[in-house]
Amino acid sequence: MLIFVADADVSWEFSDLIEAIYSAPTYHLVFEGCLILFIVGLLFQHSFLPSKRRGGSGDRLSKAEEDQLIAEWQPEPLVSGDPADEALLASYQRCATSQVGRSVTYSDGRTLVNFATGNFLDFIGEARIRDRALASLRHYGVGSCGPRGFYGTMDVHLHLEEQLAKFYGCEEAVLYSYGFSTIASAIPSYAKRHDIIFADERCCFAIQQGLEASRSKIIRFAHNDTAHLEELLQRQAEHDRRDPKKARVTRKFIVVEGLYVNCGDICPLGELVKLKYKYKVRLFVEESASLGTLGATRARHLRGGRRQRAGRGSDSGWNRECSGPLRGFVVGTKYVVDHQRLSGLGYCFSASLPPMLAAAASEALTMVDEMRGERTARLKSVSDRLHQRLLAELDNLWSVEGAPMSPIKHLRLHRCTGENSLPALEAACAAAADAGLLLTVARYVAQDLGQPAQPSIRLSVNCNHSDSEIGSLLDFLKSYATGLAKKCFQQLNISRKVRPWII
Amino acid sequence: LAAMQVGTAHSDPNPNHVYFNSRGIWATYVIFIFITHFIVLSIPFISMALAWTLTCQIHNVITYFWLHWEKGAPFEPLDQGESRTLTHWEQLDDGVQFTANKKFLLVVPIVIFLLTTFYTRYDQIHFLVNALSLVLLAIVPKLPQLYRVRIFGINKW
Repeated sequence: MLIFVADADVSWEFSDLIEAIYSAPTYHLVFEGCLILFIVGLLFQHSFLPSKRRGGSGDRLSKAEEDQLIAEWQPEPLVSGDPADEALLASYQRCATSQVGRSVTYSDGRTLVNFATGNFLDFIGEARIRDRALASLRHYGVGSCGPRGFYGTMDVHLHLEEQLAKFYGCEEAVLYSYGFSTIASAIPSYAKRHDIIFADERCCFAIQQGLEASRSKIIRFAHNDTAHLEELLQRQAEHDRRDPKKARVTRKFIVVEGLYVNCGDICPLGELVKLKYKYKVRLFVEESASLGTLGATRARHLRGGRRQRAGRGSDSGWNRECSGPLRGFVVGTKYVVDHQRLSGLGYCFSASLPPMLAAAASEALTMVDEMRGERTARLKSVSDRLHQRLLAELDNLWSVEGAPMSPIKHLRLHRCTGENSLPALEAACAAAADAGLLLTVARYVAQDLGQPAQPSIRLSVNCNHSDSEIGSLLDFLKSYATGLAKKCFQQLNISRKVRPWII
Repeated sequence: LAAMQVGTAHSDPNPNHVYFNSRGIWATYVIFIFITHFIVLSIPFISMALAWTLTCQIHNVITYFWLHWEKGAPFEPLDQGESRTLTHWEQLDDGVQFTANKKFLLVVPIVIFLLTTFYTRYDQIHFLVNALSLVLLAIVPKLPQLYRVRIFGINKW
C-alpha cells in the first residue's frame, strides 16, 4: 500500500506509472470508463431551465404557443365605460382658481369650504412657508436632478432629516421624494421572500403595494384587533418552535397605520409595542395622517417604545397632508433606517426631494415646534366637537366611522335614510357643492386588496374650520338626508299600496 | 463586464448569476487548483500518491462548501430574497442546467480524479477515498435531478 510516507521501494518514474495501467484492477478501469462516457455524454447535453414543478421558472414558450397567444389576444377598452367612472371624470371638469386650502374658489366663481382634502394644520397658503419655498426656488432652482447618491443631496435635505429625527426623538430620518413610494419602498427593503408580515386588514393602498413588492408571506389581522393579532403571533410562535432553523432566518413584521386613512381609526400603539417585545417582531407604523395631528399622547407612546429597544422597528410617514410639501420620510434608529440608503429603491433610484419642498417642509416643522401643539390641540377639539355633533344631530341619518379626535371621518348613509351606494353619495357631494361645501367620496383603486370598504364620504377636518362652517356642514347633511329619507319613505309607501300584503 | 452592473435597466438583480461568464474565470479556477497542488507537493515527507489524493480531496471538499453548502450571497442582491435559500450552484446561470460553466465545473473534478488514480498507481484505498468524494461531493450535487433538493431537510434554511 503506497500510502503516507515517501517510500524508496516504489518507483514514480513516468514509464512505470504507464505500466501500472496494465496491472490496474478491472473495477477501477470500468469506473474510469464510465466517467469518461459521462463526460462525453455531458458534452452533448442541451441546456434547459428546470420546470416550475422542480422549482425553476420553466422554459419559455415555443413559437407555436406564442403565435396562438398573440392571435387570441383581445385589447381591453381604454376607458372602462363603468358608470361609476363618469361621475369621477365629471369632477375633472371642475377647475380651481385658488389654492386648495381651507376654502377653494372655482372657475365658475363659487367658493366652497373644503372638507375634502387633507390640510389638517392649515399650512396650505401659510405665508411663511410660501416665502421660504420661493426663496429656496430662487436659490436652488426647481428640481434636484438626481437621486440622493448621484449629486442629488443638498444641505436642505440633510437639515430636514436632522429636524425630523429630532422632532420624533429618533436617531435618524431618511427622506423620500414621493409619499406613496416611501412605505412601498421601506417595507420591501426589510422584508424579503421568506419573511412574514402581519398587516392590518384596512391598510391603505400604498402599504398593500409595499407588501406585494416584498414577496413575503402576508397574514392579515382584523382591524385594530390586538387579540386577533396576538392569536396569530402565538400560532406563528408555535410553528417556530417546531422548526427552529427556519424560524432563525425568518423575519417577522407588523405593519399598521397610525391614523387609518380608510377608516379614521387610531391604532392601539401601546398594545402593539407590548406585542412587539413579547414576540420579537419588528413594527412599522405608517404615520402619514398622524404626524402633528394626534399630538403628545402619540409622541409619548412612540418615544417610550423606542427608547427601550435596541434598534428594531421604525416609523414611516409619508406626509403630504399635514405639513403640505413634505413628501415622505422614515425615522428610526440609525442601524435600522440607514439600511434604506442602499436598499430603499425609492430612495436610491428616484430623484431626491426638490429642495424647494424640503425647505418648505423644514419651515413647517419649525412652525409646528414653535406652536407647541397649539394647532394640534385646536384640531383635536374641532374634530371632537364635529364628532359629537354628528352623533347627536345626525343619529339616524348618517353613520360616522372614525375616532372622535381623528381629523378624518367617514360618513355613510344610515339604512333608514336610504341605500348607501356610491352614486347616492356622489349625488350628495354634488348637492353639497351647491350648498357651498366641498365634499368627496373616498376613492379606491380597483386593485385595492384590502377589505372592500363600504362607499363613504371622507371628511377631512381643518384646525381652522370655524363653528359656522361646521354648522353649515351639519345643516346640509341633515337637510339632504332628511330629504332622501322622505323620498325613500314615499317610495316605500307607494310600493305598499301596490303590494299590500308586504309589511 | 457589462452584465455585472446592479440596479440599472439591463442588469441582473443578482451578480452571482453572471459573474462566472467573466473573462478568465475558468483559467483562474484551474490556476487555483494548480497552486493548491504545488503547495501540497511541497510538503516534504509525503508520497506522490498522498499528495495527489490530498489535492483531489481538498478540491472536492472546498468546492462542495463553495458551491453546494453556503446559501445566498455575501452582498445584498436586488432579487427580494430569492437567492437566500439557494446554494451557489443553484444560483449560477440563474438555474439553467447544463450550461458551459456547469459542464466545466462538472468535468474538472473528474479530470482531477483520473489524474489522481493514474498517479496513485491504481491503489485500492486511494481509489475508494477519491471515488467516494468525487461521486458524493462533486458529481451528485451537480446533477439536475438534485436542483433545489435538500435531502432530509439538511441545509434547507
